[in-house]
Amino acid sequence: MDNSEQPRPVTPSRGRLAERLLPGGEEPDPRFTLANERTFLAWIRTSLALLAGGIALEAFTSGLFIEPVRKGLAVLLLLLGMMLSGGAAVRWLRVERSMRTKAPLPLPFIVPLLAGAGALAAAVVLVFILWR
Amino acid sequence: MVTASAFFLRWLPTYGAPILVLPVISGGTALAIYLTQRLRYRARSHGLAGESIEADLSAVLWTALAGVVLGGVGIVVVLAS
Repeated sequence: MDNSEQPRPVTPSRGRLAERLLPGGEEPDPRFTLANERTFLAWIRTSLALLAGGIALEAFTSGLFIEPVRKGLAVLLLLLGMMLSGGAAVRWLRVERSMRTKAPLPLPFIVPLLAGAGALAAAVVLVFILWR
Repeated sequence: MVTASAFFLRWLPTYGAPILVLPVISGGTALAIYLTQRLRYRARSHGLAGESIEADLSAVLWTALAGVVLGGVGIVVVLAS
């Protein structure tokens, strides 16, 4: 195929929100933009699972845990789900900015957050089971 | 999102009608995603063909906001009960 026959890149007009939150740089490879969105959606799925888990814990385990433990764990899961949801958007934005300016990708702070809170929740349950 | 809505409905007998705000938020978000998916798919397909896609900021921010609001309201409900 001759080079002159290849489709020319299309530069879409950007909205005001995009100009404000994603200033400078140039549109990255569309595959990378889509990959970034998929990663965001994966975090959102994790966040929803935690939210549903927190509600399920509060609604279905009244006969299993004493009230303070049940509420504490439910709040921990809901808080983690909430933070992951917000953190996923921040992470998406930071990665998108890095890709636009061809800078190194930022480290994900939500990974240690999820790991730490998961370990904490497991420890609380373990202590409760042993103590009970 | 729909599954989360179903879980929120579990609180209906305990907290009454005000708790319906939770399934409305999550169900509404699910419905919005479902109704716009064809449009977004088409835009992305054209973008891939043209080698340029604009980041979908509003979709990302609205979805994240829905998660934050659901979590926040859930925490308030658990602590207030």
